[in-house]
Amino acid sequence: MAKKGIPEWLNSSLWSSSPSPIPDDRPLRHTPPAATTTVAPSPPIVEHPSLSPSPSTAPAPIRPPSNSKSENNDLPNGSGGIDVTPPTAAEDVSRKTQVVAELSKKVIDLKELRKIASQGLPDDAAIRSLVWKLLLGYLSPDRSLWSSEFAKKRSQYKQFKDELLMNPSEVTRKMEKSKGGASNDPKLQAPGALSRSEITHEDHPLSLGTTSLWNNFFKDTEVLEQIDRDVLRTHPDMHFFSGDSAVAKSNQDALKNVLTIFAKLNPGIRYVQGMNEILAPIFYIFKNDPDKGNAAYAEADAFFCFVELMSGFRDNFCQQLDNSVVGIRYTITRLSMLLKHHDEELWRHLEVTTKINPQFYAFRWITLLLTQEFNFVESLHIWDTLLSDPEGPQETLLRICCAMLILVRRRLLAGDFTSNLKLLQNYPPTNISHMLYVADKLRSK
Amino acid sequence: MVLVLALGDLHVPHRAADLPPKFKSMLVPGKIQHIICTGNLCIKEIHDYLKTICPDLHIVRGEFDEDARYPETKTLTIGQFKLGLCHGHQVIPWGDLDSLAMLQRQLDVDILVTGHTHQFTAYKHEGGVVINPGSATGAYSSINQDVNPSFVLMDIDGLRVVVYVYELIDGEVKVDKIDFKKTSTSNSAP
Repeated sequence: MAKKGIPEWLNSSLWSSSPSPIPDDRPLRHTPPAATTTVAPSPPIVEHPSLSPSPSTAPAPIRPPSNSKSENNDLPNGSGGIDVTPPTAAEDVSRKTQVVAELSKKVIDLKELRKIASQGLPDDAAIRSLVWKLLLGYLSPDRSLWSSEFAKKRSQYKQFKDELLMNPSEVTRKMEKSKGGASNDPKLQAPGALSRSEITHEDHPLSLGTTSLWNNFFKDTEVLEQIDRDVLRTHPDMHFFSGDSAVAKSNQDALKNVLTIFAKLNPGIRYVQGMNEILAPIFYIFKNDPDKGNAAYAEADAFFCFVELMSGFRDNFCQQLDNSVVGIRYTITRLSMLLKHHDEELWRHLEVTTKINPQFYAFRWITLLLTQEFNFVESLHIWDTLLSDPEGPQETLLRICCAMLILVRRRLLAGDFTSNLKLLQNYPPTNISHMLYVADKLRSK
Repeated sequence: MVLVLALGDLHVPHRAADLPPKFKSMLVPGKIQHIICTGNLCIKEIHDYLKTICPDLHIVRGEFDEDARYPETKTLTIGQFKLGLCHGHQVIPWGDLDSLAMLQRQLDVDILVTGHTHQFTAYKHEGGVVINPGSATGAYSSINQDVNPSFVLMDIDGLRVVVYVYELIDGEVKVDKIDFKKTSTSNSAP
């Protein structure tokens, strides 16, 4: 008979939290730029016109079978040979063919795609970039609309940039030009006293008015400085984001632009530390899209997808909502309740016996969508599930957090306040697919 | 977009107690990148106050300045513009455009900022522009008793300068601006 409050299946030894070799190898597969390792299995996909946003779908039916054939050929010697044991490789292959098959349809069935994606996407840059765009609602399921949607959204982003990232000098100059101001041709300005003219809209650099362009510009500078500092701190171990190379600098500028525009368009929430961590994976995936056309517009695409993702989570960042029903405190309480529901003994041990306030560990898990708890590649896999689950990212996140707690229950039950807190704030490396499987099982029937 | 504050002739504490409160409320740190001061502060406290508004402070010596270490003239380059700084009591006749133009050619600058007359002026001649920010405290001068407090803020943006003139007239701050564009061929020393 099972102990009170613990479901049968939890007692199985399957839930041990010892790290398995697979997650360690997956990074090996991917730390060199995504292009090189995925080149071997995926050239058919990259050249594959139907995966890029063009309307032609004629070659589509032929490709997937040949793709799977090349997959099988590559396995013994290609990039797949590093880590995977045959059964996982075959799963990988079948998942890949499923995804590719789904993506090559003219009108993609989102529900079907979600189902496939929630089991994890294959580690193909092109696939993940496209699937995330679909899951986040940036692209509609109808393939024929893609080119027009891309064009519209990208030009909109360019407009935002032009309007919002200009400093007041340029703005005043533009306003005067449009008013057809007197020519400032120095040849026409006769020597002698310079004529004084009125200032535009009563606005001058030292103005303290609330409608003053200049005043708002200086107020925004504080936000911009904060964004700048955080962007420089994003993923310091990755060359993509950090370091002195021109690539890193341009990526950092792109991140800064997206966050600045987001802050300006959302005066209610502006910029909060942590948003850079949520933006980073999105931008990384889009920028590493093998399709050069898409990669060039990664900034614009990442902006809209970031907005979409934030729309679900923005309440976590709003300080005034902290104590309300939608705020972060309540979400943490829900996590607590979820844990209590599934594993009362652990819940009691954590909250009552060792008195660990879930805020100490769950705050970062939830607001940063687990990007800080696992290495970059693992967090991409977690995000696959997070974004694709039909229940929505918020619910899925809570289930995954709960699964994280349950997987280390043996160590937690044996530990006291200090050791448990240390464990939870530095979550040990684990098998991600396993963890996602547990999270899936926690789904309320 | 570089903001440069030009002011001078404060004569604190001899002829004026302090800057007008309305000016002080506008001069907050963080907005201005450079300050150029024509001199006659006269005491260290004003120097320190100006330092709090902006750490990059350039001062030249006026005849009443208590710190004798300030230079007589100074030149600096901000963006595409060369600025020259001199108090003006050395240039005789005081405030005369031709004599100031001579000084400007001597210093080889695009914009010459001088003071001493306690009167805002902005002249253009073939060599460049001469700006006098007036007296920031409205202190009386040897030629003029009735002085309106004034100072100048320059917005240097590429080859274009927008000069914002702040004057305190009848207790109200009035702001005007002057546009000035430099021809793209820079005057290099022959």
